[in-house]
Amino acid sequence: MGVTTDPARLGAPLPPGPQQDAILEQVAAELTDKGFVLAQLDKVVNWARTGSMWPMTFGLACCAVEMIHAYCSRYDLDRFGVVPRPSPRQSDVIIVAGTLTNKMAPAFRKVYDQMAEPRWVISMGSCANGGGYYHYSYSVVRGCDRVIPVDVYVPGCPPTAEALVYGVLQLQKKIRRTGTLWR
Amino acid sequence: MDLALRDLGDFIADTLHKEVTGTEIRLDELMVEAKRDSIVRVLTFLRDDANCKFRQMVDICGVDYPEDAERFEVVYNLLSLSHNRRVRVKVRTTAEVPVPSATGVYSAANWFEREVWDLYGVMFSGHPDLRRIMTDYGFEGHPLRKDFPLTGYVELRYDDEQKRVVYEPVSLPQEFRSYDFLSPWEGVLPGDEKALEADAKGEGEGA
Amino acid sequence: MTETQIKNLTLNFGPQHPSAHGVLRMVLEMDGEIVERADPHIGLLHRGTEKLIEYKTYLQAVPYFDRLDYVAPQNMEHAFAIGVEKLLGCEVPPRGQYLRVLYAELGRVLNHVFNIVAYAMDVGAMTPMLWGMEERERIFEFCERVSGARMHMNYFRPGGVSKDMPDGLAEDIMTWVEAFPKFIDDVETLLTENRIFKQRTVDIGRITPDQCMDWGFTGPNLRAAGVAWDLRKAQPYDAYAKMDFDVPIGKNGDCYDRYLVRMYEMRECVKIIKQCLNEMPPGPVRVDDRKISPPKRGEMKSSMEALIHHFKLYTEGYHVPAGETYSAVEAPKGEFAVYLVSDGTNKPYRCKIRSPGYAHLQGMDLLTKGHMLADAVANLGSLDIVFGEIDR
Repeated sequence: MGVTTDPARLGAPLPPGPQQDAILEQVAAELTDKGFVLAQLDKVVNWARTGSMWPMTFGLACCAVEMIHAYCSRYDLDRFGVVPRPSPRQSDVIIVAGTLTNKMAPAFRKVYDQMAEPRWVISMGSCANGGGYYHYSYSVVRGCDRVIPVDVYVPGCPPTAEALVYGVLQLQKKIRRTGTLWR
Repeated sequence: MDLALRDLGDFIADTLHKEVTGTEIRLDELMVEAKRDSIVRVLTFLRDDANCKFRQMVDICGVDYPEDAERFEVVYNLLSLSHNRRVRVKVRTTAEVPVPSATGVYSAANWFEREVWDLYGVMFSGHPDLRRIMTDYGFEGHPLRKDFPLTGYVELRYDDEQKRVVYEPVSLPQEFRSYDFLSPWEGVLPGDEKALEADAKGEGEGA
Repeated sequence: MTETQIKNLTLNFGPQHPSAHGVLRMVLEMDGEIVERADPHIGLLHRGTEKLIEYKTYLQAVPYFDRLDYVAPQNMEHAFAIGVEKLLGCEVPPRGQYLRVLYAELGRVLNHVFNIVAYAMDVGAMTPMLWGMEERERIFEFCERVSGARMHMNYFRPGGVSKDMPDGLAEDIMTWVEAFPKFIDDVETLLTENRIFKQRTVDIGRITPDQCMDWGFTGPNLRAAGVAWDLRKAQPYDAYAKMDFDVPIGKNGDCYDRYLVRMYEMRECVKIIKQCLNEMPPGPVRVDDRKISPPKRGEMKSSMEALIHHFKLYTEGYHVPAGETYSAVEAPKGEFAVYLVSDGTNKPYRCKIRSPGYAHLQGMDLLTKGHMLADAVANLGSLDIVFGEIDR
C-alpha cells in the first residue's frame, strides 16, 4: 500500500480534508511527472465495484415501497452510485425486497442465476430474512437464504429507507474488506 | 333502512319460494339462503329484477364447517348501486358436489370462483376455466380448509447439486404456538407440564 | 408470391418486470404487436394471510391488513376495524372517528401520489416520480409521528385508534396540506396536457359503465367510466357523513380519465383533511370499554385491575360475539371489504378479504384485447394494481 500504512484505515475511504487533498495532489503530480500512477489492482477493482453497485429492482412486496423511497428524492441512493437496473444481466446486487413465496422462488432463483459474477445479495425486511410475520404460512419461503446466498440482512418490517441505505453501505464495507478479484 | 330490507327479504322469499330456503337479517345485513342447484336462477333474478338490481358481484368466498354434513358454504356478496343495498346469498355444498357457476350471470365471478376452488376445493360446474389461481403451480390440497395445517405440508429450498428448487416435507425448528383460551383455568395449561408433574407427585404421595 | 403461415406468439410478461407493479406474470398471446389475449397469473405473492388471520387474535390480525395494500396501509385496517366493531357492537368516540378519517385520507393521498407517479414513469415520465416521493415522505413523517411506523401503522384498532396525536402534529399537517395543491398543480403541468402522456393514455383501455358493473369494478376505475358511486357518500362510515366533498366522475372510462379522476380525488382529499383538522373534537380516541381497548399506560402503573385488563387483552384478546358481517370501505383503489365470520371465540373463524385490485386485474383481458403491447403496461398502471392485496 503506497499511501496509507495504518492497518486500521486499510480499505476505508479517506474523508475530505487536507489529508485527502495532499494525497490527491501527490497523485496528480506523479501523473504529470511520469504519466502513470501505481496502485494495487484489487484496491482499484474494489473501488470501482463499490462505487457503482447497480441493484436489480426486485421489489416483491411492502419493502419494495421503502426501496423505491430509498432510490428517490429524499434518500437518493444515486449518491452512492446505486442505480436500479431492471435487468439481471446489468446488475451487481439484488435487493430482495419483500416476501418470497413458494410460487415466486423458482423465478427468483432464475433471476439470480442470470446475474453476472461478481454478484451480491441484500435481503431486505423480516420476510426475506426469515419469513417474519408470515413465517408459519403454507406458501412462504422461510427466508430467502434457503434459495440464494445472502450477504447483508436488513432487519425491519419494513426497514426504513434509511435502514436500506445503511445496508447498502454495509455491503460496500464488506466488499472492501473481503473483496478479491475472483469470488 | 331495516324495514325496507325486511320487505326486500320477504319479497325475495315470496317470489323465489322454490329456490330460496330462507332469508334473515342480522346486523342490518340481508342474507338469503338458496338451494344449490338453482343458484344461477336466484342470482339472475337478483340482478335483473327492478326491486333488486344487484348488478355488481363484489365477492364470492367459501367458508368451511367441517362438522356439518354439507361442509362448505359458498357466499355471494352482491351490491346494488341503484338501490344502495347489499345482499348476501349463501349456498351449501360438499367437496364432491359441484355448484353451478355464476360466470354466465356476472363475468366477475370467474376469478372469484377459481379462488374458492383453489382454496377450498369447491367445484363449479360450467366454469370456463377452473384452474388454480393463488397457490403454487402443482400445489396439492386446499389450504383454507380447516383440516389443512397452517404451515402446509411442503417447504422449499434450492438444491446445489440438482441446481434447482426442491420441495421437502416441512420441518420447523419451532412449531407454531397456538394457545387454548377456551377451556377454563383448570387442569394443565398447555406448556405447563411442571404442574402435571407436581400433580402426579402429589397423587403418588397421597397413595 | 407464396403464402406464409403466421403463428401467434405467446409472450411471458413478468413475474419480474419493472412495470408489473410487483410480481405479476402475464401470459400474452400476441398477433404481431397486437395483444389477442391476456392471461394474468397471480398468486406469486400469495402469503396465506386469510389462513394466518384464523390463527391470530383479532388484535394480532390488524397488522396483516397493513401489509395487504402496502401503498395505502391505513385504509385496509379501516375495513377490519369497522367489521370487528360491528360484531362487537361498539361505537367509536368522535375524536377517534375524525382521526381515522384524517389518516384514511392521508392514505388516499399516499396511494394516488404513488399510483400517478409510477404510472407516469411506466409511460415515460421520470420527473413526477422524484417529486411525488418527496410528498410521500412528508406523509410518512406524519404517520411516524402518530403511530411510530412510517408505513405499516397498525393505528386503526377495533374500538378507535391506538394513540392520540402528539402536540403540534395537527399544525404541521395543516401546513403541509395548504402547500400540497401546489404539488398537484405542478404534476398537472407535466402530465395533463402533455402530448406524449395523452398519446399513451387517451382512448386506451376504454371500458363502459355496463362492463364495469359486470366485471365488479369499483373505486376510481368505476368512477372514470362515469358512474357516480362512492361508498364514502353512499354508505358513509365513521365521520364521512359530516364531511363536505365532491366525487369526481370521468366520462370515457379510458386510462386518461382514470388518471384525471385520481388527480381530482387528491384535491378532494385536501378538502377533507382540512375539515378534519378544523373540526376535530376533543375527547377520547378509543372506546372506553376495558374489555376491548387497553387502559392508559399511567393507569396501569397504579391500578391492578388495569394491569389485568392489559394482560388479558394482549394475550387472550377479546371474545367477539358469534355472527358475520360484510363491511366495506372506500379504499383508494375501490371497494375494500372484509367478510368476517365469528364463532364467539377470540379468533376470527373466517376472514375473507375482498380486494378491489382482484376484480380490476381480472378485467385486464377485457381492457387489453386488441391493443398494442405497450398499452398493456399503460392499462396495468392505470388500474392501480398492488399485489399485496390481490394475492393476499
